[in-house]
Amino acid sequence: IINNHYEEIDAPSAEEDSDKEDQDLDKMFGAWLGELDKLTQSLDDGRPEQSPQQKAPLRQETNMANFSYRFSIYNINEALNQGENVDLDALMADLCSIEQELSTINTKPNSAGGMARLGLTDTKVHTHTHACTQISHSYLDRETSLILRNIAGKPTHLLTKEEQAAKLKAENIRVALEKIKEAQVKKLVIRVHLSDESSKTMMVDERQTVRQVLDSLLEKSHCGYSPDWSLVETINELQMERIFEDHENLVENLLNWTRDSQNRLMFTERIEKYALFKNPQNYLLGRKETCEMAERNKEALLEECFGGSSVSVPEMEGVLWLKEDGKKSWKKRYFLLRASGIYYVPKGKAKASRDLVCFLQLDHVNVYHGQDYKSKYKAPTDYCMVLKHPQIQKKSQYIKYLCCDDVRTLQQWINSIRIAKYGKQLYINFQEAMRRTEAAYDWSSLSSSSIKSGSSSSSLPESQSNHSSQSDSGVSEMTSAGHTRSQSVVSSIFSDAWRRGTQGEGRMPVPLCAGGGGSGG
Amino acid sequence: MAAWDLSVTVEDLGPDTPPVTLSVTSDLHVGGVILKLVEKTQIKRDWSDHALWWEQKQRWLLRTAWTLEKYGIHADARLVFMPQHKPLKLGLPNGITLRLRACFSNPVFQTVIGICRMLNIRHPEELSLLRPLEEKKKKKDKDSTVEIYDLTEVPLSSVSRPCLYNGMPAHFADSPQMEAIYKMLSVTQPPPAPEVIAKQYRPASVVDKAHINGRWLDSSRCLMQQGIQENDKLWLRFKYFAFYDIEPKYDVVRLTQLYEQARWAILLEDIDCTEEEMMLFGALQYHISKVSQSEPQLLSSSAAMDDLESALQSLEVKMEGESSSASEMLENMTAPELNDYLKIFRPKRLTLKGYKQYWFKFQDTSISYFKSKEESIGEPIQQINLKGCEVAPDVNMAAQKFLIRLLIPAPEGMNEVYLRCENEQQYAQWMAACRLASKGKSLADSSYQSEIQSIHSFLAMQKTNSGSHGNAAASDESINTHSLVSPRYHKKYKAKQLTPRILDAYQNVAQFSLTEAVMRFLQIWQALPDFGLSYVVVRFKGSRKDEVLGIAPNRLIRIDLGVGDVVKTWRYNNMKQWNVNWDIKQMAIEFEGNVNIAFSCVTADCKIVHEFIGGYIFMSTRSREKSDTLNEELFHKLTGGHEAL
Repeated sequence: IINNHYEEIDAPSAEEDSDKEDQDLDKMFGAWLGELDKLTQSLDDGRPEQSPQQKAPLRQETNMANFSYRFSIYNINEALNQGENVDLDALMADLCSIEQELSTINTKPNSAGGMARLGLTDTKVHTHTHACTQISHSYLDRETSLILRNIAGKPTHLLTKEEQAAKLKAENIRVALEKIKEAQVKKLVIRVHLSDESSKTMMVDERQTVRQVLDSLLEKSHCGYSPDWSLVETINELQMERIFEDHENLVENLLNWTRDSQNRLMFTERIEKYALFKNPQNYLLGRKETCEMAERNKEALLEECFGGSSVSVPEMEGVLWLKEDGKKSWKKRYFLLRASGIYYVPKGKAKASRDLVCFLQLDHVNVYHGQDYKSKYKAPTDYCMVLKHPQIQKKSQYIKYLCCDDVRTLQQWINSIRIAKYGKQLYINFQEAMRRTEAAYDWSSLSSSSIKSGSSSSSLPESQSNHSSQSDSGVSEMTSAGHTRSQSVVSSIFSDAWRRGTQGEGRMPVPLCAGGGGSGG
Repeated sequence: MAAWDLSVTVEDLGPDTPPVTLSVTSDLHVGGVILKLVEKTQIKRDWSDHALWWEQKQRWLLRTAWTLEKYGIHADARLVFMPQHKPLKLGLPNGITLRLRACFSNPVFQTVIGICRMLNIRHPEELSLLRPLEEKKKKKDKDSTVEIYDLTEVPLSSVSRPCLYNGMPAHFADSPQMEAIYKMLSVTQPPPAPEVIAKQYRPASVVDKAHINGRWLDSSRCLMQQGIQENDKLWLRFKYFAFYDIEPKYDVVRLTQLYEQARWAILLEDIDCTEEEMMLFGALQYHISKVSQSEPQLLSSSAAMDDLESALQSLEVKMEGESSSASEMLENMTAPELNDYLKIFRPKRLTLKGYKQYWFKFQDTSISYFKSKEESIGEPIQQINLKGCEVAPDVNMAAQKFLIRLLIPAPEGMNEVYLRCENEQQYAQWMAACRLASKGKSLADSSYQSEIQSIHSFLAMQKTNSGSHGNAAASDESINTHSLVSPRYHKKYKAKQLTPRILDAYQNVAQFSLTEAVMRFLQIWQALPDFGLSYVVVRFKGSRKDEVLGIAPNRLIRIDLGVGDVVKTWRYNNMKQWNVNWDIKQMAIEFEGNVNIAFSCVTADCKIVHEFIGGYIFMSTRSREKSDTLNEELFHKLTGGHEAL
């Protein structure tokens, strides 16, 4: 079935517009491709008959790059085997749009362009790129480039016909190059699970950020827009999950999965994603107890922490349980978070900076939320976080497990680690998510909307494994939900109005100097 | 109106000349007095910078339209006629001493603005002047002959409107000597000798650090009023740790001096950091000193063109420009690779076999290996992609051990692989390739050669350190690693033990341009938990013991001296107002939610504390005003105290 789809893409589209410009472009491509064949031949010279890409090395430990193609096939197969729920129409729409993009460049089947668009291999693709740029360069004859140089900066209406033609030519080449680039982009068919046990199949390209994928999912699923919508990676084998950050590259992350992976990608609302920015006072001030804060103070606090040239990591420290390597026991240690990593205080030492021992640095690891570790690993509580390299997918001594006494401590640690790792980017992500929310915000749907409710939750959210499919999960179950929810929407509107009304006057403390005398005069 | 005699000392006539006596009336204005005075001295020169200083009252008579009566001057007044700008020795954060003419008559805030304008430092409000520590006069004049760079010839008029020539203010472009001074200001100093670091004063406790803050000059009064004499020495330092709008293009001197201040704060343990952080600071210092030797300007940073995007853009440029030879481009296409015999060892495998030799090929970001060179056309025994892996060196020059330790992520965990090279040359090439590959870059990347270079220079460093001690090889390759860390680590590690640790940290910074490295250094410094804290010993109202108040850009903290812990934090955001009672030298601060604190200052005048707090609140207002002009009035309102009212 899949092959059919691809064949459809490969087939030349008959209804192709055949005006002059396109024909020119085709001719141009014909010329390039001719050259390209020569080039690839020369590259293959001196090598064994079979091309190295077709056969994988005997034992391939870590090379995941070549894997994407198989991966996407696997995903679709799996989807098809499951039968129901697969939105093949939507998938087709995705494929058709790619097809349309491609058809304008190249109408010859089985050509190099066609090979590249499937993203068969990395190395091959790059060769093409170089080849194309090379050829396009020599394609522009001396005369044309001379003209181009002369007309640089001239307004369009002053150009002669010849000059205009030269300009057009250059422009065509530029467009064509961009299309080649587009064609070489790796695309992946992914399956996204929704909280109501259904799933969606969609196509993403390797350049897309999590934010972009979320946007297209939101557009397609018509669920209420909220900044809390998240893509969550769940690693079943290790019983852990992580919310992808909006700026991350989705494909890059998914390529870490193994072929037989039981991992899932969830599309769901998670208040803990941006709880940090909705109630920054609970995360940034190093306080032990939760508290309320006026909106304008929250903004000031966020601006202070993230608005400057450098972001300071919240002062996170305290006793955590550490699972010992390869053992079932958990040991208490005093941990501290610094921008340079997580440290602990060695036995019998004070917590002076110079005596701290580095537990790990954050460059290569991500922070995950461990689930149900009380029963899985005999953890003291179920509030566990895990630090590991994203590529590790199975039990390993390189995975570090930490356990907190309560959910609040856990959320503070996870969020502080996110700040240490991503810094300002996290705040930019949040602002971007809010901008989109505001743009999508419809006053008529005020009563049912979930947008404002999140900002009023006074307690830290507890992330549950069983998420309700409803979209108004702004307030966690820990708070006495019910009436607070409806009230908070109204009250936040009032507080907003109040804020707007008073924003004019800048608020600044002033010195009051009493007493007289003093040294001066 | 009755005339009376007013005696004025004219400083320029020398200390032995008796005062000039003028016959004046009380309604004569100050300008008239000066006119009479100049006429009487009969010296023809530019007197425009001169003004009258009233010695008893310690004040300048700068309002020339005011009458003597209005100033309250009578016949007993001792007036001195002298220039408002006098030479001052100024110690910079980088340790260099300048001699320049500074304003002695305006508030220090303006004096600093003038100095910064001359030195081309933007945002002078972040800096101030500090009385230097008394130098211990035990070993007299042993090396007291500190070179002083003279800037007193710079005409004051040229400073007021700075325009740049060759990237520097006009007054520095005048002569080669001046140009050399500017270079001194804008290029980082080489790492200091370990003995120099060890000799410097190091604060041993928070209380020691607190004492330093008692030395800041009062920004709202002039130098004369604070007892500063001509040719006295002062330090220019960044005082407020809120650095606004750093722009490497315009802030060459500012960035350099800021880096130097930060570097010394680290080296002298003025701010605490962990061992890992110290090694990273060391690596950055090493890199910065290397790059600043090779890069003449701070600004030159050529972006490596390694992604398709920029390659395509440059193609567009080339299409419009002249055509280069096609063969040249073809040459770039064929990806470079490394081929050689190396030995491999996998410590985690359950085999007892040691290192085995194979034919290795490095291509793109992957290593593949074959039984022998002859079989390298076929399929490799294994191929390992190094993208995302961790690379660590394990080198001992004396034992000729060149090991590359690879920690390669895989679904099952991390795989440890050791590669053993035969010699330095081979090691540098393969190590450089591994490092680039771990970052996803291939051998074709433009930084490959410089990576090899930096590995070589680091190996050279180990060579000199492990060799005989005391040979002061003058080659720039031989930086003593003790120059890069605080004296604590001089004791803890030998120089050659330190080298691999710094090298380890160095691989993450080796690709930085000079500006990037300096910015990174500042960033890590700013991310330290204790960054930006200025300490003062205080006595809280109702408390019987001394405690320490830490003043940060956004908050105040109370530190218990016994435990050394932060007991309480107050944020400026919640501050409603503060009060200074100058009579009993007490500060009272009111925060939102009816939180009131009051304390008296022990190690610094309460004006200094008042100025710190007001200054930080002033700094936080800057982002709101988009204009570049400094709101001096607001600064004085927030920091001035009773004089401003």
